[in-house]
Amino acid sequence: MSRMVEITVDGIRIEAQEGRLLLPVLLENGFGVPYFCYHEALGPDGNCRMCMVEIEGSKRPQISCDTFVSEGMEVRTEGESIESVRRRILELELINHPVDCPVCDKAGECSLQNYYMEYGLYGGRVGRDEKLHAEKRVDLGRGVLHDRERCVLCQRCVRFCRDIVGSAELCVAGRGERSYITTVPGRKLENDYAVNIVDLCPVGALSSVDFRFKKRVWFLETTESVCHGCERNCSIYADHAQDFDGVERIYRFRPRRNDEINGHFICDEGRFGYRELEERHMESCRVAGADSDEKEAEAKARELIERASSIVVTASADLYLEEMKAISEFALKIGASLHIPLDGYDDPDFSDEWLKCSCRASNRASVLESGIDTAYPKLTSSDLLINFDHPHISSSEAKRLDIVSLEMDGGDEADVTLPLSVWSRRSGTMISRDGVRQYCGNILPPARNERDIYGWIDTISRWKDES
Amino acid sequence: MRDVKIVSARFDIDGMYRLDTALKEGAYSTLEKAFSMSGREIVDMVHRSGLRGKGGGGAPAAPKWRLVADDESGLDSVVVINCDESEPGTFKDRQIISKDPHLLIEGILLTSYAVGAHDAYIYIRGEYRPFEKILRRAIDEAYEAGILGESVSGSGYRVDITVHRGAGAYICGEKSALLESLEGKRGHPRLKPHAREPEWYFGRPTLVNNVETIATVPYIVANGPEAYRGYGTPESPGTLLFGMSGHIERPGIYEAEFGVSMMEYIERYGGGVRGKAGLKAVIPGGASTPVLTADEVKEARLDYESMRALGSSLGTGGMIVMDESVDMVGVLENLLGFYRYESCGQCTPCREGTGWSDRIVSSILSGEDDMGGIDKLMELADTMNGKTICVFAPAVAGVIKAFVEKFPDEFRAGRGGGR
Amino acid sequence: MGYTLDPEILERLEELEKRYPSREALMLPALWEVMDKEGYISSEAMEAVADFLKVPLSKVYGVVSFYSMFHTEKEGRYRIRICGTLSCELCGASEILSMLMDRLAIGVGETTSDGKITLEEVECLGSCSTAPVMMVDETLHEKLTPERLEEILEELK
Repeated sequence: MSRMVEITVDGIRIEAQEGRLLLPVLLENGFGVPYFCYHEALGPDGNCRMCMVEIEGSKRPQISCDTFVSEGMEVRTEGESIESVRRRILELELINHPVDCPVCDKAGECSLQNYYMEYGLYGGRVGRDEKLHAEKRVDLGRGVLHDRERCVLCQRCVRFCRDIVGSAELCVAGRGERSYITTVPGRKLENDYAVNIVDLCPVGALSSVDFRFKKRVWFLETTESVCHGCERNCSIYADHAQDFDGVERIYRFRPRRNDEINGHFICDEGRFGYRELEERHMESCRVAGADSDEKEAEAKARELIERASSIVVTASADLYLEEMKAISEFALKIGASLHIPLDGYDDPDFSDEWLKCSCRASNRASVLESGIDTAYPKLTSSDLLINFDHPHISSSEAKRLDIVSLEMDGGDEADVTLPLSVWSRRSGTMISRDGVRQYCGNILPPARNERDIYGWIDTISRWKDES
Repeated sequence: MRDVKIVSARFDIDGMYRLDTALKEGAYSTLEKAFSMSGREIVDMVHRSGLRGKGGGGAPAAPKWRLVADDESGLDSVVVINCDESEPGTFKDRQIISKDPHLLIEGILLTSYAVGAHDAYIYIRGEYRPFEKILRRAIDEAYEAGILGESVSGSGYRVDITVHRGAGAYICGEKSALLESLEGKRGHPRLKPHAREPEWYFGRPTLVNNVETIATVPYIVANGPEAYRGYGTPESPGTLLFGMSGHIERPGIYEAEFGVSMMEYIERYGGGVRGKAGLKAVIPGGASTPVLTADEVKEARLDYESMRALGSSLGTGGMIVMDESVDMVGVLENLLGFYRYESCGQCTPCREGTGWSDRIVSSILSGEDDMGGIDKLMELADTMNGKTICVFAPAVAGVIKAFVEKFPDEFRAGRGGGR
Repeated sequence: MGYTLDPEILERLEELEKRYPSREALMLPALWEVMDKEGYISSEAMEAVADFLKVPLSKVYGVVSFYSMFHTEKEGRYRIRICGTLSCELCGASEILSMLMDRLAIGVGETTSDGKITLEEVECLGSCSTAPVMMVDETLHEKLTPERLEEILEELK
């Protein structure tokens, strides 16, 4: 651990660790130095030249991503001379950049746009027709599209695939002004983290097919959340807004930085995990596998409960810790055994050396902490199984009441199926496989005509009491 | 002006590239003396001779040698000989490898021994195939004769030379880009270190020197540093394989000592401007050096200091002579086309700046002048200067500024046509 | 249909590897072997080279696309590279180029219809004192004149 030294930035004295890279120190201390190629997770590359600052004693401006903190260093990030350098380099980034903002997804969260507003505000010297043109919709694979006119060749995407993932599908091809980012012709991105490059891209050169043209980012509201894809529990942001029908929807998940769990990234499956919450949401009730209206289904459910001589309860390992506790108390109260079987959650193909875990039970650690039985229950024909959203319970001769949030394979096995609000509309604690606790607030408001876990426990308890 | 031949002394001897002829003419005669000295002593001789790098930069050679010789990492050091020679107007290294390759090999042996390296790589541009053949054959003959290999001339000291062919990229003449290429990558120059350190090849301390620089070492070892200092000027001692091309009566390479008058050199060896038109301009040391007007040529001396005083640079000493028939805007367009094509594209100011400047000058030539004009061109030159990863862009900046400032009438915006 | 590096080529490369600190240094030598043998570097050949060097294919592709002398498509049997940089231009290179384009009936970057000759305009070939110059494959032709050019084209027939 090297010593702390004092440096001066724009006349302000700050403390920093000796030998640290200057750029992140400036950013952490609130100095707005622009940059493209540097990234906290990828390190510097020194090619964009945007992060130039003046260092006392140096004849020329220096890139702060290749300058190291030393005692007494005097740095200037403001002032006409350095700002003019910045403006000119920015102008060069813009020279062939297409005026796509009106149709570009990145608008509103684009570094180039932001810097232009902050430093530039000049008219282009090169007419639209004289700008050099290039391919605008290159399919890189994995749902990523590449626009070569917008690219500033910061190489973040190349470095991510090569240095972080190790799959190295992308490279810079050509030379000089004719350089461009590409996969090997005929090949595509193949890694499970590919869509992270859309987040990494500082401009609109990389876009996600999933999000393309769906929503302007300034309409999006962001909620902190946790991915429910596996027991890694990567931290995410959920961006949501009202659609044209006034219905509030989630538009995308993005990684949320968490140095204890996922760093800056998430896997593609986790990223698109918001889709099933809408596409596969169980909305209607069912009786013996056929759609049924609410009154009839609930009547049938009451009947099952009245007639049950013994009840076994199962619950999903994706429920929140507090929900598991509530079900535990409920089971105890009605004299039922509670099981959260973990076997079915194992997916060996899903694991890798980075974030993906073969155990898809996202809140497995909460199950263990709660001491709930993880063995598969033994069911007989005299039992009633009440299943709170566990996706891997196969039936037997037992009667079965399913309370589910998402359509399941084999969901028709239940005698009665009642809908449960999805996890994005509920809240509670998740515990990751490494023991990190995260509170997951609801992303969307609870649906008015749906019950959550507590709602169903109340209802079923009432039915039991009244029977 | 006296005729001096140090590196080119044996160029006119028939079959000099053959080992038997070379040996007869004294090739490798310094080895015995060298191996009786320590490497450090040889470095010291080079230091005292004041030898400066002949690849265009002109930096003193000895300090670079010391960085490698003094390296204490315990890793094997490497010597790299830069034969990428792609600077327009430059064609001197090609003479050495094709006419007296054994001189170069001898120089490589001395240099490697001096800095403690056993492996040397000659990075030769891909377009030099005909000359590469001659060089390879000379190296093979040297191996057969035991002059190269496990025990150089029985000394017990190993030196292996490997020829590594480039594939058409001017930027690979920049030493850090050369090393990237030699490591099997695209020729992207590296960020420059903050403290003085050697170059690195796969993590090994590396010396990169131009062909002619290395080829000068045998003379220094054989005759001593003072002999070398007997030629040239105190700051620019010795000689250079100066050359002339373009509108010159006798184009070619003619070695001369530093400090001679440029005009006299052009008249004496080049026979003056060819044809009837008078002298208009000379680019003194390869395309990347700021152009000189005829008046400046008359003042100039062929040494690093004199050129710097004139706001230009001696570079590789390859003079491109232009007579009064020449359109300077057309000349700049030709050069900017070169730079635009050869920019590696890594950093923004160069990648976009070389493209944009070329387009501005083309638009001036075509009379359209709609890309920002001279003002923008000069501003671009400023942005490309001192803000990039390597010196390619600053060189372009210097070239642009010299043309525009010295030939203002021709660069007047809005002038029509005239290619 | 994959590409396999010839045993002789592999042997030469394996020998060469002993002279370098890392196999990755063999990138240019390996690509030149393919280029010299086939006249171009196909994607299959790039895969073979990537396999041999044990580097990602994208790295090989990035390298091939960077260097002017590597080509990814089979073109003419002969490749003419005529220099268009300053000294040659000052000594009449454009006239020679015009004549070439006229005689061959193709433009720069194109190949004659009989597949014989590909015409390329390149940057300084390092032969400025004997300008104008051009290369036909590995042969350098200096001090070009219209007559000399006719002779050369005749030899290529």
